[in-house]
Amino acid sequence: MTFLRRTLAVAAKDLRSEIRSKEAVNASISFALVILLLFSFAFDLEPEQIRDIAGGLLWLVFAFAGTLILNRSFARELVNDCLDALLASPVTGAELFFGKCLANYVLIMIVECISLPVFAIFYDVRLPHLAMLFLVMLLGTWGITVIGTMFSAMTVNLRLRELMLPTLIYPMLIPALVGAIELSHVLINNGALAENFIWFRILVAFNVIFTILALALVEIVLVG
Amino acid sequence: MSSENFTFMFYGFTAAWLIIMIYVISIALREKKLRQELDRVRRMVEEDEQAKKASSPSRER
Amino acid sequence: MRVKIILTLVILSGLILAWNLHTIFFKVPDEANQGAIFRIIYFHVPAAITSFTGFYIGMFSGVGYLMKKDLRLDSVAASINEVSLAFASITLVTGSIWGRIIWGIWWTWDPRLTSYFVCLLIYFGYFMLRRAIDDPNTRARLSAVLSIFACVDIVLVWKSIEWFRTQHPGPVLEIRGGGGMAPGMEAPLWWNLLALLMLSAALILIRTRQEAMKREIDAMRRYAHAF
Repeated sequence: MTFLRRTLAVAAKDLRSEIRSKEAVNASISFALVILLLFSFAFDLEPEQIRDIAGGLLWLVFAFAGTLILNRSFARELVNDCLDALLASPVTGAELFFGKCLANYVLIMIVECISLPVFAIFYDVRLPHLAMLFLVMLLGTWGITVIGTMFSAMTVNLRLRELMLPTLIYPMLIPALVGAIELSHVLINNGALAENFIWFRILVAFNVIFTILALALVEIVLVG
Repeated sequence: MSSENFTFMFYGFTAAWLIIMIYVISIALREKKLRQELDRVRRMVEEDEQAKKASSPSRER
Repeated sequence: MRVKIILTLVILSGLILAWNLHTIFFKVPDEANQGAIFRIIYFHVPAAITSFTGFYIGMFSGVGYLMKKDLRLDSVAASINEVSLAFASITLVTGSIWGRIIWGIWWTWDPRLTSYFVCLLIYFGYFMLRRAIDDPNTRARLSAVLSIFACVDIVLVWKSIEWFRTQHPGPVLEIRGGGGMAPGMEAPLWWNLLALLMLSAALILIRTRQEAMKREIDAMRRYAHAF
């Protein structure tokens, strides 16, 4: 119970701070829109071809835009030695990490929920199985959030933090991104979900394995 | 086809050996740089200690 | 003693590699479907196995540092990962050249090659992280955690790309050319593997000693600045 209470306290703090300033969310949404615009120049395709690559485009937008939020996650605590104060507090590393994970998750989901209809409108893509697509977004985003928050903790004190985070997380995220892309592709194209159940398993396995690993190792990363 | 086959086989073997050689050379260069740095720092420490030994009798007075 | 071990390993591996080159070029026949290019397997596969083994041993060495806080274990981990990175590059380059003949294109997004490329990217990130951190203990700690994540992730990456490719088939590099390898053709592969493992052990020993020298330099600098 204490774990949950403290985790939710950290998450609430981060969310409150972000809702007041709206810095990261605004930047992330703008970036997502810019990427969607650039894709329109890069890919001048017929509607059927767009539907073919829609899953991939969507998750590229989510992954790139999400990094802006993940970068801020621990970096916001550097000002006035807030990170040191948090580490010295009764909140454990795992609680701090999980709280930030939850806050980042909510923020990235907000960005995705705004980007998705914009994407559908810009590229004239129908989204028939919206509920299932939302489930895929929930699963895929958790994978991005866990890895991103963990590596944000790792790179927080580095000189080239903004450069290092994308370099480190994107190769790690490949299983989650491939799974999310495949499932999104199937759902957008009215494909057979039953044949593609393996991707659900990969997403869930990725999320479970890396959440446990991150919770186990984050204390070492933050404290030593 | 078969001559192209042989040519690329040699490219492959050459590439593998080239990468190993480049890596070994980079290790050798790093070794040389480290040894020079180590000698330099050792000399610096010895000079510091000699300077302190020379100045300490005058401090006691 | 260390120098003697390194020299022995290098000489032995050199002899085995030289003898193997003779066997590969003069004794092993061309493969029925692929021709002469098939011989690249005798470097491609041993390099792949050497690098893969190295990454996992490097991870365990990192775990050893986290448990014992001995910087020598971190040096061993960094050295092993660096040598493995070199062998992973050999795997990719030879695989690409092989693909150029078999499929006529330099790169095929074949599951094995793609997974190796991802592995390479992850470990480039590992070394970028190490360069960005000045404090040796922080560097050791974060590198160890990153290598744990990397090694767990590599398995998932491999499997997910394999499953992706079963649904979006593309060219695949067949090691065994449809069937198995004839017994006479497999022996040089395992001998080359032994030779590459010995060579990598020698390189790791040299690198570990260089890391120890770096620590000595840092320690003396700190001593000189402290007094």
